[in-house]
Amino acid sequence: MKERKKPDKARRIFLIVWLAVIAVLIAAILIIGLPRKNDESLREVMRDGVLHESNKIALFGSTVNPGLISAFVVTGVLLVAALLIRLIAVPRFKTVPGKFQALLEKGVDLFSGMARNNSPHKTGFIAAYIFSAGTYIFFGTLFEMFGIQAVTTEGRSVALPAPLADINGALAMGFLTFAMILGAGLIVNGPKGFFRALKDFSLPISMSFRLFGALLSGLLVTELVYYSFALSFVLPALVGVVFTLLHAVIQAYVLTTLASIFYGEAVEPTTKERRGTKP
Amino acid sequence: MPLNIDIVQVLLHMLNFVILAGGLTLILFNPVRKFISERQKRIEDQAAENQKNAEEYIRLKEEYEARLRAFEEETATARLQAEKDAADIAKKYIDSSRAEAAAIIAKAEEDAEKRKEQILDSAQTEIGELVIGAAQKLLSETATPERTEELYDAFIKEAEKKTGRKEKRQ
Repeated sequence: MKERKKPDKARRIFLIVWLAVIAVLIAAILIIGLPRKNDESLREVMRDGVLHESNKIALFGSTVNPGLISAFVVTGVLLVAALLIRLIAVPRFKTVPGKFQALLEKGVDLFSGMARNNSPHKTGFIAAYIFSAGTYIFFGTLFEMFGIQAVTTEGRSVALPAPLADINGALAMGFLTFAMILGAGLIVNGPKGFFRALKDFSLPISMSFRLFGALLSGLLVTELVYYSFALSFVLPALVGVVFTLLHAVIQAYVLTTLASIFYGEAVEPTTKERRGTKP
Repeated sequence: MPLNIDIVQVLLHMLNFVILAGGLTLILFNPVRKFISERQKRIEDQAAENQKNAEEYIRLKEEYEARLRAFEEETATARLQAEKDAADIAKKYIDSSRAEAAAIIAKAEEDAEKRKEQILDSAQTEIGELVIGAAQKLLSETATPERTEELYDAFIKEAEKKTGRKEKRQ
């Protein structure tokens, strides 16, 4: 009987403290009010969310969008994590994998399999490329959930967005992928391969804006939810997490699939070569 | 530029991703993929070896069964031959034993016959001696010269009769 009383008492204390903290926070918010509503109009908030025109961050004597800082941070964190995994986990890999090893192998195998399916003739390079792109898009999109703060040139504090929510990041990703496909076509099939890939000249634009638009839509919905005071409790957390997770998975999948399919088409042997290679 | 597009920042993003892609490929992707392919190869080699061992096992089993069958057939043949040989030997022994037994019996019968004759001869001699003794005793008690001569004649006649019967029988 005594043993039962202890958890009940602890639970009661926890509930009291939890509700007290919530009450204090609500009171503080009500007392202080939301200055944001007065500072920026909805139009300004949305415009800044899309274009990052006003909130710039200083970098090496120049001003850049917060998305670029996010990109550097994500890259740094991913490289350090990869290095730690390489030094600590990979040497301890076993024939029968543990949970972490299975997760890593699943990730590598997922992109290798995608490369094999969509580009059966040349798989080595595209597999590594889409592994890197998928990892970057997935973790870059999740990155905005951490809300890491940076100081703008105007002295404001802004939460660092996903790298690909910056149109420059999305364009870089789209054009780089297109350049990679063109280069592979040229190397493998010569000018024919190059021109075959070039006919899909809309690819980089569509890739870039698909990434940018998809990530931006989530960001705008979250901004809208935050903008409204009445909706700024509980709901933003759910909306933000759900949108972010969905975008992270969907955009990583979409870009890697498209990249591998177009790469596969570019490096596919021409009809003559295929006839020649037939036994 | 419209939409706040900045070529330098686009290039910086590209540079950033190229560094990330190269680093991830070298540090993480290639080692993990190498490990997976090596393990795959190990498993395939093991499977091939298992297949080879299984085939070898089946071959050895078939060979063993064939040998076993041949051995069983050989054993059965040998057993039949052994049984036949044993039967022949037994028959030979039985036949020779029977012949030997017959010879022994014949010899025994012959010996017995001879022994019987000997016994009869000796018995006749003893009886004769007894009779002579008894006769002598009687004669000594009631002997007269006439009576003695009469008895001698009677005895000689009787002895001649018996001797004649024996010669006839032989």
